[in-house]
Amino acid sequence: MNQSDRFVIETESLSKSYGDVQALRKVDLKVPQHSIFGFLGPNGAGKTTLMKVLLGLARPTAGSGTIFGHDIVTESVAIRERIGYLPQHPRFIEYMTARENLHLTAKFFFSGPEAQIRARCDEMLDLVGLSDKADRSIKGFSGGEKQRLGIAMAQVNDPDLLILDEPASALDPVGRKAVLDVMARLREHTTIFYSTHILDDVQRVSDTVAILNQGELVASGPIEQILNGKDGVIYTMALKGHRNGLGERLAELPWVTHTTVAQQNGTSVWQVSVSDEAAAEKDLLRYVLVDPAVMVTEFSRKTYELEEAFMDIVKGEENVR
Amino acid sequence: MSANLGLQKTNEWKPLRGFSNLFSKENRGWWGTRRWWINALLWTVLLGGLTAIMLFGPNEEVLEATETEIAQAGGLTGYTLWVGLNVFFQFGVSVLAIGTIILSQDLIIGERQNGVAEWLLSKPVTRRAYVLAKMAAHAMPILALLVGLPSAVVYGLLSLKAGVLFPLAPFLSAVGIMAAHTLFYFTLTLMLGTIFTHRGPILGIALGSVLGGALIGGLIPALFYVTPWKLAEVAWMTATGQAMSPALRLSSVAATVVWSIVFVFVSLAKFEKLEY
Repeated sequence: MNQSDRFVIETESLSKSYGDVQALRKVDLKVPQHSIFGFLGPNGAGKTTLMKVLLGLARPTAGSGTIFGHDIVTESVAIRERIGYLPQHPRFIEYMTARENLHLTAKFFFSGPEAQIRARCDEMLDLVGLSDKADRSIKGFSGGEKQRLGIAMAQVNDPDLLILDEPASALDPVGRKAVLDVMARLREHTTIFYSTHILDDVQRVSDTVAILNQGELVASGPIEQILNGKDGVIYTMALKGHRNGLGERLAELPWVTHTTVAQQNGTSVWQVSVSDEAAAEKDLLRYVLVDPAVMVTEFSRKTYELEEAFMDIVKGEENVR
Repeated sequence: MSANLGLQKTNEWKPLRGFSNLFSKENRGWWGTRRWWINALLWTVLLGGLTAIMLFGPNEEVLEATETEIAQAGGLTGYTLWVGLNVFFQFGVSVLAIGTIILSQDLIIGERQNGVAEWLLSKPVTRRAYVLAKMAAHAMPILALLVGLPSAVVYGLLSLKAGVLFPLAPFLSAVGIMAAHTLFYFTLTLMLGTIFTHRGPILGIALGSVLGGALIGGLIPALFYVTPWKLAEVAWMTATGQAMSPALRLSSVAATVVWSIVFVFVSLAKFEKLEY
């Protein structure tokens, strides 16, 4: 398996500016095949711009990118043959019904047989639960129905890559759940690259995450890695009893990078940052318990909620600036 | 992945990938909606009706004509035919240009503003195919319903008034000039839609040319040779067989055609560079 087989999307120092506004700054992105890749960032971070550059709807001002090994600038049509795209606000031909819009989309990819194209459209309408409204005018559709129809249209060509721009942001909780369920159903066959600022959704369905802030990619990797926070793996211990010299002894361990301690109701709460997770898992507690005067009332690996990790990373980057 | 579906992939000429589907979609906007019959009725009634009034109704212009003018037209019926042709071509050429501008001002800019263009261009579609599909699919009904149908009706009215078939060749030549004038404003409006992001400049420039062209040409007569601003008169004089400067006739018609082609190429070049 070569590089382009492993990564569906690869960008290198991809930049885009509009006049003086730098929308993307040297973005190096790798989206693994068959991942549900959540692309996070605050509003205005450049998520939609990056998607448009990838789709050939906007041109990069510097850097390069490939999708399926094809250049995003010179081979855009070949790329779009294998992609399904849902814009943030899906648009349709208003004088056509849902089925007709879907059929129009399918005809960009397939020339026949006509009966099978229609069957494919019916299958997609069924997938998103719109079969009973297929022959209704688009004008009467709710936001959630439009979003689901947009997903059906993005999926009608059975794409190798789905690019979804804020697929659930404008929906109520029921609509959001429906969209996330559809995404979960599609994950078996397709790589899904989607942007969002709803962190709960990402934690629910994504396996890989990238965070974009002010046009810059500030974190990227498996969701577990992001949830570890930018400080890496931290173990939390609540200790009672005599513990003189514990900090110094912990600092001597080669895989302990940092310790902090705080007092809480007669208990000292220790946070131990480690560089070797396996070693810490095996030996840290054992090492502390060597001292019989120490009682351990709590011992756990610190886990972050995505929101916490996200804020940590984004705020940290802003402070660096 | 799509190979798994048992469907045949579209196999279009790569530079025009997406053209046939886009052409069908645009066509459907005309022939699958009431737009076609509204336009067919509107322009036929407007231009045919006005010409009929001039040919068959009480006509002050005919009553006030001098004997020399009547003699020049070959008699009273001939003069009445001239007046009818004058209304159809002189008034019709300008009014069809205005109609064409109104019908086509939204074709590109509307889809750019409402996001449909972005959605369509996210499919395997070349930008060239997008522009050419719009031009081809809209030029045909505009020529057929705005120029062709009223012209056929007017030709029937002229023949009825004359009592014999009206000479076909000069009439068709004049209709051809009218079609060239209409296409000029169609391509100009589409091109402006690729350059501007709001309707104001599109309508201002295109309508300004229709309504103010004769005025500007009056100040700088040489412009009549390189613009369509004299084509209404050229069409009328061609239909009535009146003598006029061959240089003006040829040059203004050729310039109009050349400008239209230039507008097509500029539209393609500008649209290729647009970002969404």
